Amino acid sequence: MLAGGPGAGNELAIEKREQAMLELADFDEVVRVYRPRILRFLLSSLTDRDAAESLTQECFLKAWSARHQFRGDSSLSTWLTRIAVNLMRDHLRSRSLRFWQKTRGVALDVMDISDWVPDGRSSPESLTLARERVATVWKAVKELSTHQRTVFVLRFVEEMELDEIATTIGMNLSTVKSHLYRALAIIRERMGETK
Amino acid sequence: MKFRKDAVANPEPDATREEVREMAEALSLYRSAMHHIAEREAARPFAVEQRPARAIGFRLLLAPVLTAAFAAGVFVPLYGHFHHHAVPAPHTLASSNTADTGSAVDDTALMNQIDSEVSEDVPDALRPLADLNDQATTTTAVSEKDDVTQE
Repeated sequence: MLAGGPGAGNELAIEKREQAMLELADFDEVVRVYRPRILRFLLSSLTDRDAAESLTQECFLKAWSARHQFRGDSSLSTWLTRIAVNLMRDHLRSRSLRFWQKTRGVALDVMDISDWVPDGRSSPESLTLARERVATVWKAVKELSTHQRTVFVLRFVEEMELDEIATTIGMNLSTVKSHLYRALAIIRERMGETK
Repeated sequence: MKFRKDAVANPEPDATREEVREMAEALSLYRSAMHHIAEREAARPFAVEQRPARAIGFRLLLAPVLTAAFAAGVFVPLYGHFHHHAVPAPHTLASSNTADTGSAVDDTALMNQIDSEVSEDVPDALRPLADLNDQATTTTAVSEKDDVTQE
């Protein structure tokens, strides 16, 4: 059998699947490795510390319960992110029904975000400018619709490929591109307003 | 910079390179900030237990308040309603009983008084008139009997 042929691809897929199953077997390690990523995605999407932590824990609880159903067709990271996306949708749906609880969460403040800027700024002016830009993006992201925000966060915070995003959230690739285009248009518009 | 060029979906033709560069930098900064915040949050222990505790605390506080408000809203008007109608009823009953008793007493006294007055002996000075009355009564009765017989 030639390397790189259909047989090799099949073997690679089987190997990946086995690796994913093996990885899932040590669930403590799974939580340790993937919890920061899931928490980051939920925190970026919901901007609510309590909800993000609660849903992160629920995500791993669901993953543990459904670990026997995981077939390794996608990576463990994609599978966990898909569970997190579904949980977030349910959470947002129930929150819209329980509108009086909207203000009860511990929301991330824009100051939390913009106060942190990577080192290496040459001058106070550039530091201030960087903070303003982060704050502008943060505020613009909060304005996005749920789909736009999910796609934006998965692409620009989690750095996932577009087809991986499509698989994770169960959308067509063209729909994912459309949401991303609109999200970026809004952010660009807000950035233009602040100049 | 981790920003990829294909990430900005089709920038418009009039968008300058500078504008795209600024946006790419802003997105990169935003990603770095979110990674930093998430790492900080992940380092903290799970606060999930706090949420139910706070929710339970809130409910523990809210439940008595709502119950008291409900009780005040429902039972007080009901009590007032029944109290308003219930209090006069015994009073009316009692007063009617009292009135009945009083009237009974009054009637008895009156009857006793009448009996005693009627049964009083006719004074001697009036005795002839009393006899006349008796005779007249007797005569009338007799004449009536006669009339009946004649008929």
